[in-house]
Amino acid sequence: MLSIAVRKRLGDFTLDADWTSDQPIIALVGPSGAGKTLTLQCIAGLITPDAGRVICAGHELFDSASGVNVRPQRRRIGYVFQGYALFPHMTVLENITYGKRRAEKGVRPLLPVIERLGLRDLQSRYPSELSGGQQQRVALARALATDPDLLLLDEPLSALDAPLRRELCTELSQTLREWGKVAVLVTHDLSEAYQIADVVVLCEAGRTTSAVPKNDLLWNPSSERVARLIGARNILRGVIADTRTESVALDWRGVRLEAAQSPSHNLHARKGDELAFFVRPEYVRLIRKNRVVSDNLRQTNLFRGDIIGERDEGTTWVLFFRVAMEGSPAQGAYDLEIEIPKLVYERLNVAADRHWDVSIHPGSIQVLPSY
Amino acid sequence: MDWFPLALSLQVALLATIVTAVVGVPAAWLLARRHFAGRDLISATLLTPLVLPPTVLGYYLLMVIGRRGFVGRLLDARGIELAFTWRAAVLAAAVGSFALLIKTAQAGFESIDKRLEQAAQTLGHSDWSVFWTISVPLAWRSILAGTVLAFCKALGDFGITLMVAGDIPGRTQTLPLAIYDHVQSNQLQQANTLALVSVAIVIVLMLLLGRVARLRY
Repeated sequence: MLSIAVRKRLGDFTLDADWTSDQPIIALVGPSGAGKTLTLQCIAGLITPDAGRVICAGHELFDSASGVNVRPQRRRIGYVFQGYALFPHMTVLENITYGKRRAEKGVRPLLPVIERLGLRDLQSRYPSELSGGQQQRVALARALATDPDLLLLDEPLSALDAPLRRELCTELSQTLREWGKVAVLVTHDLSEAYQIADVVVLCEAGRTTSAVPKNDLLWNPSSERVARLIGARNILRGVIADTRTESVALDWRGVRLEAAQSPSHNLHARKGDELAFFVRPEYVRLIRKNRVVSDNLRQTNLFRGDIIGERDEGTTWVLFFRVAMEGSPAQGAYDLEIEIPKLVYERLNVAADRHWDVSIHPGSIQVLPSY
Repeated sequence: MDWFPLALSLQVALLATIVTAVVGVPAAWLLARRHFAGRDLISATLLTPLVLPPTVLGYYLLMVIGRRGFVGRLLDARGIELAFTWRAAVLAAAVGSFALLIKTAQAGFESIDKRLEQAAQTLGHSDWSVFWTISVPLAWRSILAGTVLAFCKALGDFGITLMVAGDIPGRTQTLPLAIYDHVQSNQLQQANTLALVSVAIVIVLMLLLGRVARLRY
């Protein structure tokens, strides 16, 4: 288990990290300048927090109240730095065997790690002679070679180009699972975090959320703020018309929307209250013309409007849809962003036809509790 | 032709450079990497030998190591003479040249990616070990450049040496002082030879330095 609650002021910036995880792989996600790297440095002991405590696997690493501050050399933490920070004057093997705790035991115990990461043939190369992917593996091997209790990874994939990043993402995920200890991954890419981690901590301007299981974060965000942090689009506000156990009816832009209510969200909101919700753009359906809408599901959340703008994103199209109702649109000039595959765009001839009925599945309207 | 001034100068410059390097390289690292009270003041003070009149430096140095000076009295009590000996010339050369070494080495240490030293720390290495296995090997070109520059500067010191070591032929008369004396007594042949030798030494050292700069770690 890893638990951190620290405060650190650096000029105008204040880091206020506070989260605990009993899951092994934790991702810190947020934009640059959010304090993610600073959090890692506090865990590693490279920066001394002004106040707070850091506890890893039952060991107290830092506690301002009792004056505990274990030196970085003694924290048993492996750190994969952003850009890898390989020693340029040492070969791959010298880099990997540099760690103090392992150096005494010689090279032999490291051979499986070297083999596992495919570095055997590269042992006598220098870091400048390696590709980005190979450098990443060396950095990982060097950190794991000291047999740490905790591994910190700072943007381990961001220096790589897209195809390699996908490949190494899978590889890194496997390596961490096999290794089986606690790891903290810093990334600005939520999908990377989702693929590798068990729980996600969101960081923004020095503040953090608690550690949330990744599925909850994506499919059940706990607040409007979290929804914005994970990049949810179509975050809207409606007024509650009716609440039932499994669903809630909302009035929005003169349209009555049914939203399946997640049981885990204990809504204290009542009829007449304002409520935030969001609709994933790819879950809004355009209804084909001249077709009798027969099934009930399609008839719920069915409304009419116009496409007032669009954006070609290559394999998909983003449409800006305006509901055919009085009043000002919810998001500037439009009410909803809709995302459809290019194939659908062409088959429905959306380019020529701008007047559409759309429907949203009740389960695709995500209600956001406001506290 | 009297070669004593050349031999003395080489000896003085070499010893001064060794003293400077032993003290200056760790000091440069501290200035580059540690934040402590008075760091900026120390950093600024270290630069003064480059711009102050040598006579001013010589004067203060004499106040310290002369017979009535703080250090001079301590040494005198133990029967050691420092002022107006060749050892004072070493000290003078060191004072005149250490700013060059410290500033060059400091720039070298500062240009090392901090994460390399942090990585070494998280891998269990003490500050001392990080200094020797990471910082020095990565900054060695700057350290060497600073050392060579300091040596050349030490070789050419005139004013400070004159103030604290005097100009005693056969005892403390270094090469620059000898050239001055030769010119004063109109022995231009000797002055010319010694001047050419100094130029040659410095050019050869600078050439070597240029070669080294092209090497990898």
